[in-house]
Formats: sequence, C-alpha cells, structure tokens
Amino acid sequence: MATTTAQLVLTSTDLLSDSLSVSAIATLTTAGSSTGLTGTEGLGRKQTSNTSEYTLFDASQHTDDKAHKIYLKNMSTTASEYFEVQIAGAVVGRLYAGDWAFLPWSADSTGTNCDVDITPSANDMMLEYMLFTDE
Amino acid sequence: MATTAQLTLSSGDIAGDPVNVTKLATLTKADSTNDLDQSTGLNRVHLRSATQKTLLSASATNRTPGDNKAGKVYLINKSEDASLYVTVSINAQTIGKLYGGDFLFIPWSQTDASANIKVAATNWTSSTGDIPVEYALFHEDTDFLTNA
Repeated sequence: MATTTAQLVLTSTDLLSDSLSVSAIATLTTAGSSTGLTGTEGLGRKQTSNTSEYTLFDASQHTDDKAHKIYLKNMSTTASEYFEVQIAGAVVGRLYAGDWAFLPWSADSTGTNCDVDITPSANDMMLEYMLFTDE
Repeated sequence: MATTAQLTLSSGDIAGDPVNVTKLATLTKADSTNDLDQSTGLNRVHLRSATQKTLLSASATNRTPGDNKAGKVYLINKSEDASLYVTVSINAQTIGKLYGGDFLFIPWSQTDASANIKVAATNWTSSTGDIPVEYALFHEDTDFLTNA
C-alpha cells in the first residue's frame, strides 16, 4: 500500500477584512476504504496544436465508479489562454493560465461516458496532468 | 487583493521515485491578471439525505449566470468515516465522489443556467450520521447574489 497525500492551502490577507487561511490534507485512498491508492500514470504534459477537443482520460480504460483523482494545470503564461474542462460532456470550467485543479473522478463508463476532455482556447498550449488510479 | 491556492502532491512509494509536486496559483479573473475579489466565505453544511442538493446555483431566479467567469470552488467531505461519500455533479453529470477527508478545487464557469453544482450523500442512512461538508466559492460575478 502506498501513501500519497494531497494538501491544499488557500490564503489571502486582503480578500476579506480578516485574513483567510484554509488548509486541507487528504490521503488518497481507494473507494470507501483507508487503503492507499497504488496506481498512477505519472506526471505528464500534453502539447496541443489546435483548438479541437482532446480526450485526456478515457473512462473505458479505467475501473468504473472508483476513487480516481486528477490533477490538471494550464502551463500557459498568457492570461487569456484557457483550457475548457469537460467531464461526461458537461463543462466544469475554464482553467486559465497558471490555474490548476484537483478533483475526484469516478470514471463512470456504464451509466454515462465519463471521459475527461479538454478544449484549448488557442493553438500550441501545454497542459500538465497526473492521474492517481483506483483500479 | 491576492488570493492564492497551493497544491502539494507527495508520495514516497507510489512510484519508483518519489512524487513531489507543488503548484501555486493566484486566483484571477477571466482573461486577466486582476485578482478575484469576491467570496462566499467558508460554509459548512451537514448532509443527511441521499437526494441531490444544490450547493451552488448557476441559475438563481432573477440573475444572469456568470457565464464563463473565473469562479473557483473548494469543497471537502469532512466525515471521518472513509466509507461515507458525497457524489458531486455539475450540469446534471456526476464528476466524482468525495470520500471522507477528500477535497476538490476546480474552476467553475457557470456556462449556462443548468451548470449548478449539486451534492448528494448517496450512501447516507439514518444510522450513518450526517456528512459534514465545507465549501467556498471565489468569484468575480457581481450578479452572483439573487436579485431581490
């Protein structure tokens, strides 16, 4: 069993009239248990060449309805450039330059096709990603 | 008015070499380097129903959805029971399950009036106890509050 942790720290000294400091740490475990996730596809980068939709993670290639975890980051430094992130065809949101996301992914492939798709706003953009799998 | 979000992923044994990824993002408005300047603050609710509940509405009555704005959502399942999970959906599509202790941090563009973020304590029963959930939205949509 591997031990993998994800820690989030949200801070601001001036968004509110008092300082904001939120911290959360999670140990990545298999669905419904305290057993650590043991699979990863490693840290990767995808260079896109056009503004077409790309399938980043194919749900049919992973175990259905599990506790996979996804990390995404838009490596662009141009503020106007974004990746639109879709899961199961539903738009989650836009990752603008420098933004990252971390989210659970059920990889549902029976009830619906839960692929993770990205659509870059410009040619020649770079996405960094990592998938932790519960297979 | 900077708000930052830092993610650290670390493991000494999930791969042949250690994993240590640290990323810092400053939360900015869409298509700009200006900082996000609004927040709902940190909220806490206790889920005690397997029925879906709307956590964040993209289509509150009398308001225009903040179409393609740069909202950011933080959501955590604070249950200490690893088996209790919260199903998270956007625009009626399930994206994943947050088990006890799991969190997410995602962009939320409120692309249309149906892009609500909903949660359900799917395996909750009267004997499992409540599932506490905390969440915060950082946004730029000045019309996020429902008009009177």
